[in-house]
Amino acid sequence: MSVLELSEITKVFPGVVANDRVSLSLERGEIVALLGENGAGKSTLMNVVYGLLSADGGHVLVDDKPVKIKSPRQAIDLGIGMVHQHFMLVEPLTVTENIVLGREPGRFGVIDFATAREKVQELSVRYGLKVDPDARIMDLSVGMQQRVEILKALYQGARVLILDEPTAVLTPQEAKELFGVVRSLVDEGLSVVFITHKLEEVMSVSDRIIVMRDGRVVGETKPSETDGVGLARMMVGRDVVLSVEKGHSERVAEILEVMDLHVKGDRGLEAVCGVSFNVCGGEVVALAGVSGNGQTELIEAIVGLRRPTSGMLRLKGVDITHASARASIEAGVSHIPEDRRRRGLVLEFDLAENLVLGDHRLAPYATRGIMHPSAITTTAEKRITDYDIRTPSWHVLASNLSGGNQQKVVVAREMGRNPELLVAAQPTRGLDVGAIEFVHRQILKERESGKAVLLVSLELEEVLSLADRILVIYEGRIVREFAAGEADEETLGYFMTGGGGTKLEDEGGTEQAEMTEGNL
Amino acid sequence: MWGDIITPDLFAAALRMATPLALAAIGGTICERSGVVNIALEGIMLAGAFFGTVIALATGDPWLGMIAAVVAGVIVSAIHAFASINLRADQVVSGTAINILALGVTGFMMERLYGHPGTTDPSAMLRPVFKFAAADGGFLGTIWNWINGIFLSHTPIVYMAIIIAIVAQWAMYKTRWGLHLRALGEHPRAVDTVGVNVFRGRWVAVLMSGALAGLAGANLTLEQVGSFTENMTNGRGFIALAANIFGRWTPVGSYLASLLFGFADALQIKLQIFRGQIDIPSQFFLMLPYVLTVVVLAGVIGRAVAPAAIGKPYEKE
Amino acid sequence: MSESRETLPAHRAWMTVVQKVGTPLISVILAIGIGSVIMWASGYDPVAAFAALFKGSFGGPKQIGDTLLRATPLILTGLAVAYGFRAGLFNIGAEGQLFMGGLAAAWLGVALTGLPWIVMVPLLVVAAMLAGAAWAFVPAILKARIGAHEVITTMMFTYIGRYIVSWLVVGPLKAPGQIPQTDAVSIESQLPRIQALFSEATLEALPFLKLGRTHLGIVVAVIAALVVWFILKYTTLGYENRAVGFNPWASETGGISVQWTTVKALCISGALAGLAGAVEVMGVHHRIFDQFSSGFGFTGIAVALLAKNHPLGVIPAAILFGALSAGAGTMQLEAHVPQKIILIIQALVIFLVAAEEIVTWFIKRRQKEALSHVG
Repeated sequence: MSVLELSEITKVFPGVVANDRVSLSLERGEIVALLGENGAGKSTLMNVVYGLLSADGGHVLVDDKPVKIKSPRQAIDLGIGMVHQHFMLVEPLTVTENIVLGREPGRFGVIDFATAREKVQELSVRYGLKVDPDARIMDLSVGMQQRVEILKALYQGARVLILDEPTAVLTPQEAKELFGVVRSLVDEGLSVVFITHKLEEVMSVSDRIIVMRDGRVVGETKPSETDGVGLARMMVGRDVVLSVEKGHSERVAEILEVMDLHVKGDRGLEAVCGVSFNVCGGEVVALAGVSGNGQTELIEAIVGLRRPTSGMLRLKGVDITHASARASIEAGVSHIPEDRRRRGLVLEFDLAENLVLGDHRLAPYATRGIMHPSAITTTAEKRITDYDIRTPSWHVLASNLSGGNQQKVVVAREMGRNPELLVAAQPTRGLDVGAIEFVHRQILKERESGKAVLLVSLELEEVLSLADRILVIYEGRIVREFAAGEADEETLGYFMTGGGGTKLEDEGGTEQAEMTEGNL
Repeated sequence: MWGDIITPDLFAAALRMATPLALAAIGGTICERSGVVNIALEGIMLAGAFFGTVIALATGDPWLGMIAAVVAGVIVSAIHAFASINLRADQVVSGTAINILALGVTGFMMERLYGHPGTTDPSAMLRPVFKFAAADGGFLGTIWNWINGIFLSHTPIVYMAIIIAIVAQWAMYKTRWGLHLRALGEHPRAVDTVGVNVFRGRWVAVLMSGALAGLAGANLTLEQVGSFTENMTNGRGFIALAANIFGRWTPVGSYLASLLFGFADALQIKLQIFRGQIDIPSQFFLMLPYVLTVVVLAGVIGRAVAPAAIGKPYEKE
Repeated sequence: MSESRETLPAHRAWMTVVQKVGTPLISVILAIGIGSVIMWASGYDPVAAFAALFKGSFGGPKQIGDTLLRATPLILTGLAVAYGFRAGLFNIGAEGQLFMGGLAAAWLGVALTGLPWIVMVPLLVVAAMLAGAAWAFVPAILKARIGAHEVITTMMFTYIGRYIVSWLVVGPLKAPGQIPQTDAVSIESQLPRIQALFSEATLEALPFLKLGRTHLGIVVAVIAALVVWFILKYTTLGYENRAVGFNPWASETGGISVQWTTVKALCISGALAGLAGAVEVMGVHHRIFDQFSSGFGFTGIAVALLAKNHPLGVIPAAILFGALSAGAGTMQLEAHVPQKIILIIQALVIFLVAAEEIVTWFIKRRQKEALSHVG
């Protein structure tokens, strides 16, 4: 008997068929991985199941009985819980308040907080998910927040748990812990749907694998019956090169020099605590770390979006410590921001306007404050061709492009400027394999033409395949430096999560780091 | 001279003046906590003041007038709720439209009903709840006169405002409604995914703010002035919004901030009596609440954290 | 609700056209329709009312002149609000900036004597714009530095500004006599009426030039609209203004200072509102007093919204609202409908334009029904 069965689910968005007659079933005590690229329709399908979207066709069966799920409430009542990619937690509220939200114990509308707290602790002990019930969500780490999400689903009586890209925000160690939790949930009789686009996770955690592509189920298999290459082929529909060819490059003069930099974060706490390193022309230096360890603040300081509290930044020997974003662009720093929709593009602008953002004051695009549309469109047309941006014309608004093409616009603008230093923050986040390949090739092209590249990425695969040197950042300090080929994912993961402590920086910067490298 | 200024009735006046601000500010707090900006408080208050007077004049009963004011507030706020929640209109723009609409409707109806613009005839008013005799002299007598003067001399809505502030504060942190409300303004999708109806929650909040702002209007006409004058709210809705911010989006905080503004207003009126000794043009006193509001906003708002989802229409995916 | 977002592509394309071209027009028609229902329900004759209103606003050159007279400050306040909106700022306090601009013009027009027209007019215009900008400056700084919401602060400054004017016209700047107002500005400080620019013979030959009280301010306003249009479309100032309005974070990445752009936008907005005050003083009243603006700053919001914040669209939008206000008197006189109905119609227009979906709502509902029949 299947606890959940989908039959011929179809979901149409304007211009896109997101789900095309998708069928699948889930047994009790089973972990099914739903594998597919971004945009394959995995999340849409699960949002249909959870009642967040209504299907245009097909049926959902729970315990073999057909059901109509029109709202999350109904899904919850049917025992379906979901942990979303973006957490559905209310930051200023406590763990307990978040977990009981919508199903608060109490009478006459008055919440019985003592009982609520007890129930949370009970669940927490039963499933081995330790959390402080009185902590505020905003004070918890991402991994902890995810636990709260899982507890929330369990509190609501979930028998089927849908996890949407659960490891995207976790460290390798946290991910391993999560897999343990998932195993114990299944042992308790729950069923889990695990949405992901990461091959190795699928292999290690699932009982059964369902692969989606372009809104359809294209295959079903078991970890024992396949390997990574086979899965990748199924997922993409062709053979993929899992790593890029890195060409030869000469490391030349020092471009960026960071000396004992201290930067404060949004909450006024020190986020970058005395970081020193350099980036030379012709090399890619990668900053590896778990999200929230000071990378964002460090980058913002380098590109002029945030004022350092102390320390020094130099670009080709020129002091840019207190340069504004504008001065820093003019000095030759380009920046592919982490969040392209928020930081990278003005979605309501057309492509031509977006392609000159940052250069819009300079000749030939403008002289003495008057803009020259013809110069702008000429450049736009050239960059659209050079960077293979798929669009009918530069008239199109940036909001109408796909994620991959939007990123190409940002890349085209930032590289087209011909910078001295390229700072690329998570340049491939949310992109499909084809677009990732493209961005990687562009970054290496910059390197080969003698530019300095500072890459920040949470994807270790990306770091390992692109970088000439890898700096591991943890709690605002650089804790280790590796040359390309010196470290593997395990080692990086160990240091990224504080395995090596933070003592290196305390003892005195990069020299020390280089000295201790040999000890590994 | 200062002995003549600092008297029980100065503080009593502060409480009185604070009442319409506080009611509207608490309304604003509830509304904004749910994620809807309510700049329409001004217009809602005006509508409440007008319809309160209309019914009080028609029936001779100020209590019916008060109920009419609340109902009018709810109806006007329903327009704001529909525009900003269902139609996802810009909430500030919708509020602006309501402020203009209230000005137009009250003025239009006034001429239709009474045949002239300006001010209505005086209506029946709500009377003070208690009536205690003043004591004659002595230390205890003076204390009694101060307590009696400041706290026991008021009309019903003044006490209602205090009770509402306390009850709303309790409800916001101890009840299901309050928890949902606080969550709504921070992360409506999270509330939606646990099966709580976002639209309904916001509707209720906006209507409550309408009821409270309507009651504030009733206090103006049926307790303070006794008649309706066109545009008589004169920016109180905006000061109430500032009081809500100053009070950091909590009901009791809103009340206390309103009390501060009310005190400034009471002092201003009191000082006008001493024109001879203190020769400052009355306009300077009249602008005091507005100046104070700017000062408050300049000093405090930067550190006060607004609900995260405020002003953003909720859209299901 | 979810279904309504997922209409078919063909419908969407058609609706985009409707929204862009038709929404303002449909909104006005709907608002007039609802206004008629209100009049009818209140026992008035809406047909007679609108006939009288039309007569009073477009019935002849003098009436057209009246409409243009009222449209003049509205074009400028509409531009003020629209320019702010384009930077994501809601300058609800244009009224206060208008008062300060008017004050500057009225004061200088009396205080400075002996200078020719060619010097006085530009001088007063610039002074008024500076005064308007100055009145927006504190809210602008507060917004840029600590995020204090400009809606509240500009509103507060409006009340403060009005009390300052109210104090000055009964106190330091009061003209002799009973009425609380300033002295009339010198003849060199005035904007002449359009019809005064032509000879009697020309006016006889071309009677449509007898535009009554319409003054040169209308030309100033149209030029201002063209300048704002050019700024937004062809200058880096306008580009940065629009970029910040759409996405301040991306603008920051592009080296645009969001704080500085905010300050500039609100001050330019204030300057335009100040200019509106100046043309009212220089072209109409020749002095300032407590009630010299009939809410032009607030009506400017409706104008900007109806124009969808397009600087050239502001001109017809302002003429519409100018016509409503010019015809209101005739309407009250001939159809006995209270003039306040104009405010109601104005509020309805704002609603309908702001909630675009009101206009498309019915269409969508019908589509939804159609879809549900299919599914």
